[in-house]
Amino acid sequence: MAAQYDLTSKMIPFLDQHLVFPLLEFLEINELFYSPSSLLEARYELSLKTNMIDFIDKLHGDLVNAGVAPGSIESAKRREEILEKLEASQSEARKVLDVIENPDVIAALRQDKLQNLQFLKDNYGMTPEMIQTLYKFGQFQYSCGNYGGAADMLYHYRVLSTDDNLGLSALWGKLASEILVGNWEVAFEAVQELKENIDKTHFPSALHQLEQRTWFLHWSLFVFFNHPKGRDAVVDLFLQPAYINTIQTSCPWILRYLTAAVITNKRRKTLVKDLVKIIEHESYQYRDPVTEFVEALYISFDFDLAKKKLVECEEVLENDFFLVAVQEEFIQNARCFISETYCRIHQKIDVAELSQTLNMSKEEGEKWIVNLIRDTRVDAKIDYKENTVLMNTNTTSVYQQIIERTKGLSFRSQVLATSIEKREAAQAKAIQHEKNHPSTEA
Amino acid sequence: MSRFFRTGESDSDETESDYSDELTASESEDHSDSDDDSSSEDDQPGKKPQGRLFVAGSDDSDSEDDTVRVVRSAKDKRFEEIDLAVTAMANGQKINDWVSVQNEFDRANKALQKAAGIIAQSGVPKFYIKAIAELEKAIQSGLDKEKTASKKMNASNAKALNSMKQKVKKNNRLYEKEIQEYEKDPEHYDVQEEEVVVASKTKAKKPKKVLSESEEEESGEEEEEADDGFTPVGAGGKTVEFTQENLFKKLKEVIDARGKKNTNREEQVRILERLLVIANTPYQKILVLLNLISAQFDFAIGLSGYMSISLWKNAEKYLNNLLTILESNSGYIVKEDIPEEDDIEKDRVPEDGKTVFIQGSIIAFIDRLDDEFTKSLQNIDPHTTDYVDRLKDEVGLYAVIVRSNAYFRGLEQTDAICRTTMRRLEHLYFKPDVVIIAVENATAALLPQKIANPAKESAALIHDLCVYLYKNANSLQRTRAMLCHIYHHALHNRFFVARDMLLMSHLQETIHQADVTTQILHNRAMVQLGLCAFREGMIRESQTCLQDISGTGRVKELLAQGLQAQRYGAVSPEQEKLERQRQLPFHMHINLELLECVYLTCSMLLEIPAMAASGANPENRKKVISKPFRRMLDYNSRQVFSGPPENTRDHIMGAAKALASGEWQKSIELINAIKIWDLMPSTDKIKEMLGHKIQEEGLRTYLFSNASYYSSVGLDQLAKMFDLPLATVVSIVSKLIWNEELSASIDQVTNVVVLHHVEATKLQSLALAFAEKAAGFVEGNEKLLESKTPQQGERPKKGPNANKDQTTGKQQQQRTMGPRGNRGGRNQFNNGLGNSVRGGRK
Repeated sequence: MAAQYDLTSKMIPFLDQHLVFPLLEFLEINELFYSPSSLLEARYELSLKTNMIDFIDKLHGDLVNAGVAPGSIESAKRREEILEKLEASQSEARKVLDVIENPDVIAALRQDKLQNLQFLKDNYGMTPEMIQTLYKFGQFQYSCGNYGGAADMLYHYRVLSTDDNLGLSALWGKLASEILVGNWEVAFEAVQELKENIDKTHFPSALHQLEQRTWFLHWSLFVFFNHPKGRDAVVDLFLQPAYINTIQTSCPWILRYLTAAVITNKRRKTLVKDLVKIIEHESYQYRDPVTEFVEALYISFDFDLAKKKLVECEEVLENDFFLVAVQEEFIQNARCFISETYCRIHQKIDVAELSQTLNMSKEEGEKWIVNLIRDTRVDAKIDYKENTVLMNTNTTSVYQQIIERTKGLSFRSQVLATSIEKREAAQAKAIQHEKNHPSTEA
Repeated sequence: MSRFFRTGESDSDETESDYSDELTASESEDHSDSDDDSSSEDDQPGKKPQGRLFVAGSDDSDSEDDTVRVVRSAKDKRFEEIDLAVTAMANGQKINDWVSVQNEFDRANKALQKAAGIIAQSGVPKFYIKAIAELEKAIQSGLDKEKTASKKMNASNAKALNSMKQKVKKNNRLYEKEIQEYEKDPEHYDVQEEEVVVASKTKAKKPKKVLSESEEEESGEEEEEADDGFTPVGAGGKTVEFTQENLFKKLKEVIDARGKKNTNREEQVRILERLLVIANTPYQKILVLLNLISAQFDFAIGLSGYMSISLWKNAEKYLNNLLTILESNSGYIVKEDIPEEDDIEKDRVPEDGKTVFIQGSIIAFIDRLDDEFTKSLQNIDPHTTDYVDRLKDEVGLYAVIVRSNAYFRGLEQTDAICRTTMRRLEHLYFKPDVVIIAVENATAALLPQKIANPAKESAALIHDLCVYLYKNANSLQRTRAMLCHIYHHALHNRFFVARDMLLMSHLQETIHQADVTTQILHNRAMVQLGLCAFREGMIRESQTCLQDISGTGRVKELLAQGLQAQRYGAVSPEQEKLERQRQLPFHMHINLELLECVYLTCSMLLEIPAMAASGANPENRKKVISKPFRRMLDYNSRQVFSGPPENTRDHIMGAAKALASGEWQKSIELINAIKIWDLMPSTDKIKEMLGHKIQEEGLRTYLFSNASYYSSVGLDQLAKMFDLPLATVVSIVSKLIWNEELSASIDQVTNVVVLHHVEATKLQSLALAFAEKAAGFVEGNEKLLESKTPQQGERPKKGPNANKDQTTGKQQQQRTMGPRGNRGGRNQFNNGLGNSVRGGRK
């Protein structure tokens, strides 16, 4: 059942081939949806396009073990080629690196890139082409699976290069490398930088920008669901109009992650309203248990359905590469949402009923409600005899209303009065002035 | 030339026409001669007998010699006359005698008018062109001199000069092209002229053909059946030769005669048809066909306001023929932007891979054909069988469009492809799937094998056409294609796709800058989108889509489906004519009654609960969702007696009232009784959907209007009352509570809705009202102040206030005076404010 909610195949087109490996591995380990051998094969196919020769060998071996015999590969020859190439580009890059890593040079480098280039050219004979080699080397290293090295190279390249286009590519490369290394702190920074770059760069067409944003949305998931501050960032970023539009036009499935992020985010409950609007709007394009849960809870107010969807959500989250880590939190928060909504609508609730709605036993439910009352300061009491929860509806009293309405009045009137006074004074002054200097007016 | 002809000859028209009645109607070649003679009747009565005699001679006797003599002498004589006048004119210019120049100029022009017939044959005499070109220059220099000269001309001379300037300017405009030619090469112009004169003389020396042809034309009708052998026998017993050799000449004659006042168009068409039979090379055929098609379109449009159908069909047939020839002879290409061939009297064959370009425009023919088709549909009464018959021709037209589209694709003429694709799209977009498929199949049967490619699925076809236009067409066509696409999606209930397209194209932001027909298309798309939303059960969306159009009360005008009743008689005839031209043919109409019905039903479903929710609170009552609906409801409720509902509106009003009072069954009954729903596809489903909506809205309305009378309501009771499942009731009530529309909460244990009453005492409610009023006052004051604050920078700043200190005392004195003094006039008040702002900024 859950296979239909697997997003891997939808997401792969928007990811780098190296980034796909973790996704496939995740599927393979958890033995989900697809047969292991086919996944292995997919990984093997994927790896053939890279230069990770050892990895290819290993996968090949695995495949043979699994009984699937892929075409033989001339690994030895290819290995030699790759090593040769690696060496060549390394030696080239070495030249540049030697210069850059020279302390004198580091001291001399300034903020201005053009000036730096000139300086390097004058003193060390470095040409823009040589700097280019850094990029190429970085790319090559990346394709060989040496992500750390690649990230370094690309960092150096970005410091020196003035080429915007390649700079953007380098940034993408750096982000990918950091993600694959698992260096979330740096990756997080890279994501922010990349976002700024995408937003401010003028792409030849709107379509191009949309494409970039779509990629960005997918890549950033890696970072956001692994970085401690990521969940806040994901909500902030995805709810920006530009990115909401991107989600709506090209990749509605990202909604699942947005929803999960909003629900697990305790501090931003106000965002739920926006989210509901978007989910309602997009429900014809994309729906899965996660969005359906929100739909059931906030659009149709069908608590039974919400309960059912929550169970489904559990499974979906468990099988999602990005969300598996937040599963527990999600369920907790979702329950919170349900009970909060429930309490706001109801006056008298049967504890047993509520516990059932939340998928809990009666005792558990009672505890939960007590906690809830304590934590969220819901104005409610448990009637033990009848085994119900009594909600105190807090209608605002008439006095409160009147106070509310007349609150600003005196202040506003005062402001009004002073401004009229001021005006009168100025007017009188002006008339006086006119009298004294009739010629200036004429 | 033709323009000149028309303007110049208008006075002689009448004599001409009764004159030609005497003659046989078909007399093209001799027209020239009869023309000048008829005009000479007016101008020089003395010459009349001669003219008579001559005409009689040329028409009645078939003597060759006669004709030869007359043709030559007439031409020479006329030209001599012009020549004389021109020479005198030149002399006048030399001695600066503008009065005589003016006289001579008039004389030359008069002579030219008389020679019009000859000119039609051989062109305007070049010496005349030379003369008028020189004249213009002379006048210019004369005027310049006059300006600077110390001694002015005498009055009459100056007057003559000025009037000459006007005349020449007007006159020369007619010969613009010739004059340009002259300007290019003044020396050699005359020499060419000599040659031309010689050539025309030699031409004139062969009168036999001219004559025999004219005879042939006279007897054309009798001989129609007999002339399959190309050598018809004339009435006089002479053979007429329509041969390969003279085909081009005949064609040229026809071309030259085109557009002239007294050209007999039927005759022209007949000649061309005959020529078509003779023509045997592709080049000839193409040329003849091109002219034949234009000739069909040239026919004056009669009282009916559109091209007669038989002519239209002819045009269509010939266009098809033309396309067949062009398709099979890829060596010939008809194009617009190539220079006109001076010498068409030669057959041209494509040589070694080179293509022969022929001037002409197939796309223009297609456009015209299509436009004429639309025009005829606009004018035929849609309730007659004529209309249906006419509509049947659409398949043929569509086939031509598809065919030409394929042809243009072969030539890769992007512009033409786009135009034909657009036409194709506009023939399809408003049709349902089945019809499109039927049209496609019928079309395929009419087309040659290799082009025929009937689309299997309408959505795919429309998509392909639109995508092509998006990629290649100009922005207007893109916009139109987009709108057609949206319309088509909406027609087929793909609401979300259509809506997303509309939103993503940002058309709504720019549509008010578009031309009227595109705006109409936009309106149509919007309406269709609204109807689509309705069919899908999205009431609010539907209402929003339709609001702009149905809410205005100018639906007919906005959709170009019939003229609006005269609004205060403010429409000028031209405007009305334009509007008439924009009308859509009947078969494209969106049913207005259905539209109104949908709009009102949607309004009812939204408005009734909203009205109930606002209750007695007058502030909330002002929030109107649909003005027309409210107006109608007011009107309806003000009536003392209301009979049983008769029309759609009555039904909806009745339903609305029933809904408001909680009688949902009656409401559903009334809504279902509306007959026009039958026009919608899957009526039952829609009725069912409406039933559900009415139940739900009925529940909401009931809760809103009766909440204050209950302290609690059982959910089961509600479910039973409105025949809704309990879960739905709970969901609706929960939603109301959550959105704070209803102050209540659900008691889960007893399963009732507990309604919280904020029972305000009299004092409290008065206090509330008072607070409200006070807030209103403050707001009003703020607004007033804001509106009285003048624009910044209204007046130029004064210089720095140097003597500020000095005046302080007086200012204070003035303060009390200031406002009072300023109360005099509004303008002054504003000025005062202007000052105050300036003062404030100091």
